[in-house]
Amino acid sequence: MRCYGLMIPGSETIRFYPSQLKPDSNPFLRFKPVTRIPIGSFKTKAATNEKITTEWGQMTLYELLGIPESGTFPEIKQAYKQLARKYHPDVSPPDRVEEYTRRFIRVQEAYETLSDPRMREIYDRDMARGLHLAFSARRRYPYQKDEGMEGRTEWKNCWQAQVSELKRRSMNKDAGGSASWAARMRRRREGLSDEL
Amino acid sequence: MQQPLISHFPCDVPALSLILYQDFLSDTGMDEPQYTVASDSETTGEEKSSSAFAEIAIGIDIGTSQCSIAVWNGSQVELLKNTRNQKLMRSYVTFKDEVPSGGVSNQISHECEIFSGVAIFNMKRLIGRVDTDPVVHASKKLPFLVQTLDIGVRPFIAALVNNAWRSTTPEEVLAIFLVELRVMAELQLKKPIRNVVLTIPVSFSRFQLTRIERACAMAGLHILRLIPEPTAVALLYAQQQQQTVHENMGSGSEKNALIFNMGAGYCDVAVTATAGGVSQIKALAGAAIGGEDILQNMMQYLLPNSEGLFLNHRINEIKLLGLLRVATEDAIHRLSSQSSVQVDVDLGNGFKIYKVVTREEFEQVNLEVFEKCESLVTQCLRDSKVDIEDLTDVILVGGCSYIPKIRNLVMAVCKREELYKEINPLEAAVCGAALEGAVASGITDPFGSLDLLTIQATPIGIGIRADGNSFVPIIPRNTTIPSRKELLFTTTHDNQTQALILVYEGEGTKVEENHLLGYFKIVGIPAAPKGIPEINVCMDIDASNVLRVFAGVVMPGTDQPPFMEVRMPTIDDGHGWCVEALNRTYGSTLDLVTVQKKM
Repeated sequence: MRCYGLMIPGSETIRFYPSQLKPDSNPFLRFKPVTRIPIGSFKTKAATNEKITTEWGQMTLYELLGIPESGTFPEIKQAYKQLARKYHPDVSPPDRVEEYTRRFIRVQEAYETLSDPRMREIYDRDMARGLHLAFSARRRYPYQKDEGMEGRTEWKNCWQAQVSELKRRSMNKDAGGSASWAARMRRRREGLSDEL
Repeated sequence: MQQPLISHFPCDVPALSLILYQDFLSDTGMDEPQYTVASDSETTGEEKSSSAFAEIAIGIDIGTSQCSIAVWNGSQVELLKNTRNQKLMRSYVTFKDEVPSGGVSNQISHECEIFSGVAIFNMKRLIGRVDTDPVVHASKKLPFLVQTLDIGVRPFIAALVNNAWRSTTPEEVLAIFLVELRVMAELQLKKPIRNVVLTIPVSFSRFQLTRIERACAMAGLHILRLIPEPTAVALLYAQQQQQTVHENMGSGSEKNALIFNMGAGYCDVAVTATAGGVSQIKALAGAAIGGEDILQNMMQYLLPNSEGLFLNHRINEIKLLGLLRVATEDAIHRLSSQSSVQVDVDLGNGFKIYKVVTREEFEQVNLEVFEKCESLVTQCLRDSKVDIEDLTDVILVGGCSYIPKIRNLVMAVCKREELYKEINPLEAAVCGAALEGAVASGITDPFGSLDLLTIQATPIGIGIRADGNSFVPIIPRNTTIPSRKELLFTTTHDNQTQALILVYEGEGTKVEENHLLGYFKIVGIPAAPKGIPEINVCMDIDASNVLRVFAGVVMPGTDQPPFMEVRMPTIDDGHGWCVEALNRTYGSTLDLVTVQKKM
């Protein structure tokens, strides 16, 4: 499994990379990102890439960062910074920028998952269930409710918004204008029965 | 190699091929083996640094009002001076004579001469903007011609030469200026300059970046990196922190710093976390507000009801405007140290100003500007998820950092009594750019002064149009780069076989509020009921900030067309018109919606 092959829960379909489906027309290897380092940038070391990324693909995020599963946040952070120093494309030899870029992105994603207590919890749970979904937590539409609530402030804002919305609704209860259709109907019926 | 570059600049083929040809000339012969040496990093340090020195990129800070240029001289960053011994040169180009000349070499007898219509300045505020942009409209009060037709095309910009308006473009003005800087640096360093690192405002769109690239290409310069101004400052800060750690032999604990940079044209904020030479940009925020807005507010305050006065651009009016500009600028500068100033100036044409302006009045007149600055700082802090208590340093740079109100408001938001003092506010960005130039050129320093790495983040979100007219970000703001993110989309109509991918950049929830970068069509989607075909859109930004968009159908077991890979931005001017034409022709027939994750 290559670096960008992603597993979908409940299916064995490898999601992203077109190369997975059509190995002969892999656009990623055919086209080199323009690195602005003119010489050597087109010598893609495909063979090395495959080997390393295969190894990386089978690692857990903990293994990838080289820390135990009990690793603390400072440990995660330190491991990330060390790996960033090693694999950031800015420090790569000019002919291996692409490979380093991919590695760095994996390190970054591992760091982002494990440094966020909520995402780490999900990842740990999935790992315990035997699902090796390295990046599954990151693939959902990020603007779904539960995703948007990381961080205390956002959670608080959301909660406050809900409270104020409830307040607003209770205040407008009698105004009728913003009440739901059903509520208006019920009120009208009540009104009718009062008249009778 | 030529292919992607040329397709990127469809109009600049002659200029670019010339530069590529020059590159080719300088690359053959001597340089080829040098690169081999540099790539196998672990050769002797001596040999590497001396051979790579020929290729070192210089740092350039093109400010709205001032420019500077710096280079790593082998042991430290050195700012280059022009023949008049200036490190900071005014950014303007005069078109007085046959050959235009810029602020690097130009000798002007009096400041008012710049403001007499012959000079174009503030090009950084105008570059890559269309005539419906409020920043362009604000520039109509500058003492040269900025004409707008309000139809979404580039504005008409012209300088007054022999009583006629001679048209130019911001790119051309910038290129003339860059050529002067290049010549100046080449004379001093006694070698050809090719690679540069340029600082740019955080709020620049990718379209504006292509304009900067074009100006550099016109000046024969090759951009190694375009880095946001506050991240250049962050790099300098990281280097200083690392040196202190070396000196104290202390532990390299992580230090968080908030960097606030406000010049004449733009205000940028960044939060950076640095430890052991590695700095990570946690968040960026920026807007096109700056000293120019403060100046215009004050000019309006000193000479009220002058709105209509300058729109005819008569020579006397331009002169009057120039005098007013100089007097106002001076008053603002003095208000940084005095609590009130007296403005006493005869503008001619019967216009006289005699007014005492207090600092309170000044702050009241510019209330909106200051409020915007405050909101940028707040937003950046919130995005960074760094607690105010965890900020080690607060760094203020740029010309506006001398304004007491600016200093106070940043200190108040960050709950701080004092600011970081080890940095020169006017030279920090260019020094950072020169450091980045040395690091990105692969130069190493025996004392470890260049053991630096900056992990950059995206200042503006990038996504596509989906779910009706919504902007769906794929790479959100403040994502660490290099980055690669993807999202699944599906069709909105039964048997829809084609889909239009409209790539936008911005923060608005509706696409209209954002900037169209480009578009392409996916064809050959297998016929199926709506919501069944899955279309994967993946975005990829590499360390040099190049954006590529991949898109295609993901349906196992079917015969699929090849994925599309498109380098952005693909469109030139007139993005507003493109959207209109696309809407008119296709409506919502080729629309997409996001796939909600089913768990």
